[in-house]
Amino acid sequence: MKSRRDLLKLAGLAALAQTIPGCKKKEMPALESFTGEFDPLRSYPYRSWEDLYRKQWTWDKVVRSTHSANCTGSCSWKVYVRDGVMVREEQAADYPRINEDLPDYNPRGCQKGACFVEYVYGPQRLKSPLIRTGARGEGKWRKASWDEALTLIANKLLDNIYEYGPDTNTFFSVIPAMSPVSFCAGSRLAHYIGGVFCSFYDWYCDLPPGEPLTWGVQTESCECADWFNSKYIVLWGSNISQTRIPDAHFAYEARYNGAKLVAISPDFNSSCMHADLYLPIQPGTDAALALFAANYIIENKLYDEPYVQEQTDLPLLVERRTGRFLRPPGADDRFLWRDAKTGRVLEAPGTMGSKVQSIGLGGVQPDLHARFTHEGKEVVTVFELLRERLAKYTLEYAASVTGLPANDIRQFAHEMGTRKPAMIIHGAGLNHWFHNDLINRALILLVALTGNVGKNGGGFNHYVGQERIWPEHGFKTLAFPEGPKKQRFQNMTLWSYVHSSNQDRHLYNGKPIEHYIEASVKNGWMPLYPKKRDQKPRALIVWRANYLNQAKGNEHILESLWKDLDLIVDVNYRMDTTALHSDVVLPASSYYEKTDLNSTDCHSYIHPFSKVLDPLYDSKPDWDVFGALAKKISEVAAKRGLKPYLDAQFNWERDFTKTHDLWCAHGKLARDEEAANFILEHSPETKGMQYSQLASGPKRFVATDWEAWNSDIEQGVAYTPFKHQLVKKRPWRTLTGRQQFYIDHPWYLDFDEQLPAYKVPLEEDAKYPFFWNTPHGRWSIHSTWRDARYQLRLQRGVPIVYMHPDDAKEKGIEDNDWVKVFNNQGAFVSKVQILPGEKRKRLTMYHGWERYLGFLQGSWQSPTYIKIKPTQLVGGYGHVNFKLNYWGPTGNNRDLRVDVMKYTPTEADLRAMRWNGERKA
Amino acid sequence: MSRHQYSMVLDLNKCLGCQTCTMACKKMWTDGDGMDYMYWNNVETRPGQGYPRKWDEMGGGFDRGQLRPSEIPTKEDYGQTFEYNYEARMYGGAASAQPHQEVRNTPNWDEDVGALMLGENYYFYLPRICNHCTNPACLAACPRSAIYKREEDGIVLIDQERCEGYRHCIQACPYKKIYFNELLGKSQKCIFCYPRLEKGDVNACAKQCPGRIRFVGLLDDPHSTVHKLVKVHKVALGLFPEKGTDPNVFYVPPFNPPRTGNYGKSILEDPRLPLDYLIYLFGEEVVEVIRRLEAELKVAQSGGRSEVLQLLIGRDAGVRYQIAQREDLVQIQPARHA
Repeated sequence: MKSRRDLLKLAGLAALAQTIPGCKKKEMPALESFTGEFDPLRSYPYRSWEDLYRKQWTWDKVVRSTHSANCTGSCSWKVYVRDGVMVREEQAADYPRINEDLPDYNPRGCQKGACFVEYVYGPQRLKSPLIRTGARGEGKWRKASWDEALTLIANKLLDNIYEYGPDTNTFFSVIPAMSPVSFCAGSRLAHYIGGVFCSFYDWYCDLPPGEPLTWGVQTESCECADWFNSKYIVLWGSNISQTRIPDAHFAYEARYNGAKLVAISPDFNSSCMHADLYLPIQPGTDAALALFAANYIIENKLYDEPYVQEQTDLPLLVERRTGRFLRPPGADDRFLWRDAKTGRVLEAPGTMGSKVQSIGLGGVQPDLHARFTHEGKEVVTVFELLRERLAKYTLEYAASVTGLPANDIRQFAHEMGTRKPAMIIHGAGLNHWFHNDLINRALILLVALTGNVGKNGGGFNHYVGQERIWPEHGFKTLAFPEGPKKQRFQNMTLWSYVHSSNQDRHLYNGKPIEHYIEASVKNGWMPLYPKKRDQKPRALIVWRANYLNQAKGNEHILESLWKDLDLIVDVNYRMDTTALHSDVVLPASSYYEKTDLNSTDCHSYIHPFSKVLDPLYDSKPDWDVFGALAKKISEVAAKRGLKPYLDAQFNWERDFTKTHDLWCAHGKLARDEEAANFILEHSPETKGMQYSQLASGPKRFVATDWEAWNSDIEQGVAYTPFKHQLVKKRPWRTLTGRQQFYIDHPWYLDFDEQLPAYKVPLEEDAKYPFFWNTPHGRWSIHSTWRDARYQLRLQRGVPIVYMHPDDAKEKGIEDNDWVKVFNNQGAFVSKVQILPGEKRKRLTMYHGWERYLGFLQGSWQSPTYIKIKPTQLVGGYGHVNFKLNYWGPTGNNRDLRVDVMKYTPTEADLRAMRWNGERKA
Repeated sequence: MSRHQYSMVLDLNKCLGCQTCTMACKKMWTDGDGMDYMYWNNVETRPGQGYPRKWDEMGGGFDRGQLRPSEIPTKEDYGQTFEYNYEARMYGGAASAQPHQEVRNTPNWDEDVGALMLGENYYFYLPRICNHCTNPACLAACPRSAIYKREEDGIVLIDQERCEGYRHCIQACPYKKIYFNELLGKSQKCIFCYPRLEKGDVNACAKQCPGRIRFVGLLDDPHSTVHKLVKVHKVALGLFPEKGTDPNVFYVPPFNPPRTGNYGKSILEDPRLPLDYLIYLFGEEVVEVIRRLEAELKVAQSGGRSEVLQLLIGRDAGVRYQIAQREDLVQIQPARHA
């Protein structure tokens, strides 16, 4: 097969070279020798050569497709094909405009999308099934036929089911929104063979737990065009110039349209440079700043009282002694407040147990400030409890904790309370902390007090991970056809912690985390598979993900879980770290060789993946990979004469000879395009759409599913959530039916987290003075593009740790030195870059570097370990119950500390860098 | 003088530093043999070494009408183009994949570094292409007369058939935006995407810019946005005006946020980004332009409407680009300004 480069050789300038006598330079004539028969400044007689470049901009066909790398981008691209080879890509740039005032979404796409073709033909591309011959991760393989590889896998999965139970087979794939057909291919198989399906959004710590706690939703954000409607945009721990490349323009354009832009970040990053106010905050102290601002807003009466009365739980009454909400006798899910007009204690409408399913006040004026004795109990409103709590967050306190000047943060608090609409763009910079839930809740409080939630241009908007799939109903039905109750779902953070040698030695209220895990599992709050606790997971199938590379506690995972697993299968188009450390690798088609759908919470359009070319090499689209595996399972089951397996947990008799039949819905879903159409047809958002129509351009969603969404799609209006609550008075999806800032679950009361609070980052060993910071950056989407040559040539070619010049000086480290970064969990060796914008006493490496590339030891995840916050293990509380990717412990990693020292490569290091003797000159 | 002049304005207060322009250009034009090290479009962090390294200190351009002495950047100045041993790591049992040589310089070596002043960091991104100068030093320096300015649109090209690779042009260019293709023995550079413009499509670097910072049109067309920004609102300036080549790429100059603790003060009072540095790049006029932009921003942020900022929003491609078809190029009446 012709490569891209070969083609360019033919088409490009090389052809011309033949007419040039060698490449040697002639002796240079002196400048004076130019006599000038014509003046090239005015006209030039020899212009026919210009066709050379004209010919380069030609192609045979252009096909629309996109990428599936979990960037929340969802950008529609055109792929150009010449002589049967994909040569380049360019943004399709044809998203329709929402209205005349809003800037459009074009051109949507970044430098990474502009060079994906490099992967299609690159050395990382997987071309045939591989079976490991050396040790795991060694990189020794033999090529196998699809039949052999699938037979091996099918036999092993079936053995596990009959010998150890179906819950020893584990499945991991991420982010359905970016390619739901490919996601469903494997999840359907997991569903029909009783496998465990693991979460990703909480595990990657992209889930903002404050949203399920406060709003009862997974994550709800405005589409990015709505940023333009704002008059005050706070980039809080979100470096949009790097992590929201296709959307950042809306914020900078909003500034020209009258918004002020605030950037809060410890480092002076590439978004801070465009701000009106930059706040270089001390890492991990953001909640203190937010709670000071909340205090300022309340004490200066800048809060929106009618909004707070109607839309939040702040008027609800709490019994002071117990800290529990005041409830009508015998009720768990009904709540009381006092009417300021009549002084009567009334039941609040719209709560989870209320007969009235509206939060409209109906003439009642709930008293925010009530403190009185009710039936012998001292009661007080949440609002008053909040005021008491906020009292300590004074200007002086906030300035000293955050390290920020009083002048700047007082003005910030004032503007937060007065400029409308105001929004917070919230990023992983905050969400990856251990106390992420408290930080989320403190920030949501700010925008709720000021009445900004549910309004265009306002709100708390979190964009980390493409978690939100618009056509949700169709997707869910395709992914788990018998419904979630018949599927084993597992929080991945808990699974990875329990099944590896990761150990968190912190005590939480005097008890180790194991105590809370056992209680949570025993109470039925969090599932933990395999159910038999003496059983270990046996098989792990990973697709559309790079589990091993991205796993916190990497060294522990490798030395324990990875050794315990009998079979690791990776389905992938490229050899990533997980594939490299697998037993069997199945070659998937690349993003440009498959049929799928693509959506994001950053915009309100759907567009397709398409087969620009038929699957290259011996690859198959994910849909066909799992179809073939399902078929093989049925064949093997028939051949082995396996009797149906009674899956007692669901009372489901599983006849594996029928697995393929079920998987493809008796032939109705044999092809990926049929699966795509199934999703479109079964979702209100895409009613009337067919896959084949999407090739013509992105289509805006036509409606929203009342079950899944909290606002309508309105023509000419950017989507922003919670208009159902604000306009239609629909109750919020919480226990109290309101934005709930008070959580009276006993564990929250035990940890004094019933209300938002600032808690210092988790204490670590004082021997390690530097925060270890691994943010998302511009050069990769997690691990994708981390190893892409064209990208690497525009960086420093290898993983880099950033360090403040003064810290480097103290450590005797110079720019581009090798350094060792270490703590008691592990160590790695990489290059260092001195970065003046970095915070002192912090080291940063943009995340996602493949373990195999550039490091002399370990990887960026080597110093990390898994820590679980006890309060994120709770369930059984109104709206707070385990739900896959909605509620479960997050895999936080920001509180971690490390130390650093200069490193001198050893002889062995130098040998390792020498390409095994194959080094090119 | 060409009859018309294509021009580009780049708003540095919208630039993300994402290098999508760099990648778009690389994949469009410089993906062939002998071109690995070339980035006709690059984005550099300023202050910083630039690409090629220290190009701004190498001289070139004109000094009182005469070509100013300069030098040809070395290979090291442009940065390395390394390969990786992926196959050895993935299939051959090698311990790790590494670049084939130790990396000591790349075109974006000091990304996001900038400088410190009184403990505070400042920097911005400067995307660069050939300036398609009105008075190109490269053209003046070419002993073959193989560099010319297209009379219909002012695009400066190196004739790839007649170029003999003498490299006087590389020496003469004060922006060091001409590259030598060793394999072909030719000097090569940004062609302002004339094949695209001729078909009514805008330059790849502009079309693919997700920050939407680029505006393209004829500078002499009074209806073009570039004309309005450069000639009417006067908010965009050329780089190193004193080098005498009269560049046709213009920049809306950058301003960083106030220094910590200064919120509420004018950025000119005690700027994070030292004005001296901006004056070095854009000339004395930059102070006035920043003053104007800050005033416009204040109007907008106080609830008013700023015409120039509304233009810079560039809501869609129609606002940002005015691409004339070839026959139109002859008809447009140049605007007159005092």
